Amino acid sequence: MDLILDGLIRALTLLARGDPELLRVSWLSLQVSGTATLLCLLVGMPLGTILALARFPGRSIVLALVNTGMGLPPVVVGLVVSIMLWRTGPLGQLRLLYTPTAMVIAQFALALPIVVGLTVAAIQQLHPKLRLQIVALGASRVQLIWLLLREARLPLFAATMAGFGAVISEVGASIMVGGNITGQTRVLTTATILEVSKGEFASAMAFSLVLLALVYGVNAGLTWMQQRNRPL
Amino acid sequence: MSEARALGSTIVGGSELLARSNAASLAEPLVEVRGLLVRRGKHIVLDVPHLMIRAGEILTVIGPNGAGKSTLASALALLERPAAGEIVLGDTTIEWKRGLLAMRRRVAMVFQEPLLLDMTVADNVATGLRLRGVPRLERESRVAEWLGRLGIAHLASRSSRALSGGEAQRTSLARALVLEPDLLVLDEPFSALDPPTREALAVDLVPLLRERRTTTVLVTHDRDEAFGIGDRVAIILDGRIAQLDTPEAVLARPATDAIARFVRPRLRYCAPDVGT
Amino acid sequence: MHTSSGSSSSERASAQRPPPMRPALLLTLVSVLVASCLALAAPSAARSQPATPDLILATTTSTQDSGLLDVVVPQFEGQSGYRVKTIAVGTGQVLRLGERGEADVLLVHAPEEERTWMANGHGTDRRLVMHNDFVVIGPGNDPAVVQAADSAADAMTRIALSGAPFVSRGDNSGTNILEKKLWAQAGIDPVGQSWYQEVGHGMGATLTIANDKQAYTLTDRGTLLTRENIDLGVLAESFPSFLNVYSVMVVNPEKGSQINVEGARAFADFIVAPETQAAIGTYGVERFGQPLFVPDAGRTEAELGIS
Repeated sequence: MDLILDGLIRALTLLARGDPELLRVSWLSLQVSGTATLLCLLVGMPLGTILALARFPGRSIVLALVNTGMGLPPVVVGLVVSIMLWRTGPLGQLRLLYTPTAMVIAQFALALPIVVGLTVAAIQQLHPKLRLQIVALGASRVQLIWLLLREARLPLFAATMAGFGAVISEVGASIMVGGNITGQTRVLTTATILEVSKGEFASAMAFSLVLLALVYGVNAGLTWMQQRNRPL
Repeated sequence: MSEARALGSTIVGGSELLARSNAASLAEPLVEVRGLLVRRGKHIVLDVPHLMIRAGEILTVIGPNGAGKSTLASALALLERPAAGEIVLGDTTIEWKRGLLAMRRRVAMVFQEPLLLDMTVADNVATGLRLRGVPRLERESRVAEWLGRLGIAHLASRSSRALSGGEAQRTSLARALVLEPDLLVLDEPFSALDPPTREALAVDLVPLLRERRTTTVLVTHDRDEAFGIGDRVAIILDGRIAQLDTPEAVLARPATDAIARFVRPRLRYCAPDVGT
Repeated sequence: MHTSSGSSSSERASAQRPPPMRPALLLTLVSVLVASCLALAAPSAARSQPATPDLILATTTSTQDSGLLDVVVPQFEGQSGYRVKTIAVGTGQVLRLGERGEADVLLVHAPEEERTWMANGHGTDRRLVMHNDFVVIGPGNDPAVVQAADSAADAMTRIALSGAPFVSRGDNSGTNILEKKLWAQAGIDPVGQSWYQEVGHGMGATLTIANDKQAYTLTDRGTLLTRENIDLGVLAESFPSFLNVYSVMVVNPEKGSQINVEGARAFADFIVAPETQAAIGTYGVERFGQPLFVPDAGRTEAELGIS
């Protein structure tokens, strides 16, 4: 218990003096996970909507795969992305390994099934004739997707929070494709693991607490947006 | 005075009857349907070799459950691509590819359920205008106008989740009417409402349609509505239009026994030329 | 013929605008994230840019944990303009990365494995850099009487015979490899025995676990020095087998087209250069009262007593 207290004190001390390392890894965490989540929303939500509405052979298999993907172990994703990005790998020429971009890619792959799967469920929950009514009002395909997503925004906000939560708290993929390099690819989770392996548990706890605070902050904002205008 | 008139007076007033006979005399076709065939799987559910809807008229469509009324409505609203056939709107033949969106935007459809979006009444009504890129000022004034016409101006900022059945359906109607469509298709718009609400809504709606000369197709399973409101009535049986004529004509001279049985069971016992 | 007045104005605006939801807020959010994403992708400018500025240095976790690289690498970067990506993994993985050409230069401490690696043609250059030593630590009461041991093998034998708990890293790291050799020297197979616990952790965490259990363990002196609150004493030290020798190896450029051979050589030259060696020799004195490493550049392995 005192370890948590130690960690809390350490965290506050570091924050109070604006510890550059702490600020740097925190900001990088936000950048990487934020970008990955945003990309997931832009790609995953329209994709999920189409998947929910379209009928094609093999659809149930695709859905099952998406739902399976929700539980992908981060370290597995990290391994696969690493293999692709190695110098000897198919995408080696891009020299992306051990960069934040590689981490964004891995986290994108991790969160995409979550966002798509939850979007499919959210859209399928809408009134089956709603799509027809929106089309009847003269919506183009893009407008239709937008309105359906808007209509399902409550569960979609939850999907966003689930996706963001999954990636900002993962360490397996980040360590593998990022390398946890000081000043370049170290984020809150990988920093925590490093401190643990060094036996510096108070520091590890400090990083963890900052991570929790960060996640809370982001989710508080998203929750506010989700619950806005719902006086009923 | 015919049976139909007696019927009609329960729903609409005398001036309405006058307007109807005027509408029937507008001979210009707005919608023409040729060789329409709709399939579900291998089964043909709708077969309409020819149908003409005149500009400004209210065509009611009635038939038993599963006869194909809603299918016809969907087809006319260009929501469902038929297996075969042609639909001509105005002077444009509908093509199921590029340009369909523009065509579709000339038609508006209202369903049995209000199918409102999760937003205020005013925003709901504005939806179609927004989709068409109508600028804000014009949008707002048109929305306000139609909210007033349908008696729901006081609900403008009410959330759509907080409406009664009648209020919601009025919103849905306003949402369609604000678009001033070339063709308005109503698929059993009153069926989910209780009789007094239904009547109140019809009393408000029909004069509006008349005044704007909105070409309307009203699908219903209610005989009073069909014969009381329509300039012409189409009886649909087994996916086909069994008879299409003015309400008086259908009631007086049902084309087949099946129709006779369907429209007014008692009528069989009335002599065709029964007068006032 | 009745035409609705609305249709002409709606046709006019063929740009289909979807209904906006708080456009200002959404736009701000998106632009902030896009900006930071671009910032991520933009390469940082180095002082004098060599042709290929990025250099991958693969080393072991204990080397990383000692903190030496946090001092030495920035110096190298500043002088040379290279940007070093230090990947700290287990010894086995370091060598494997080198084999595959996924790293440019290696800094490891497993001489036998390194010799085999070089013999297999994976590297073009191997030079001694420094050494530190391992020690056996244990509880103050020393139930196995390790203190009386006269060799490294003897110390291990005593622990095995006493059945006192021993914590092993069990992760194929350089430390772990050395530990296994010592058991082999003593003719003992500890795996599976109840007193022998493999934890699969880095050195620092292993020390904490050993401390918790008041167990024996093998550690490099450097990590021991950097950890406070370890309530275990040094019971066996300075035996030849306990020497932990670090070498730098340049990966054979034939391993792949992306190998940064100039950078690798530059780093190897740098780390054995007299200035750097002096820095290595004094690293740790301020914080821990004694240096963590002994610089060895220029010596041979025979001189150190290992071969």
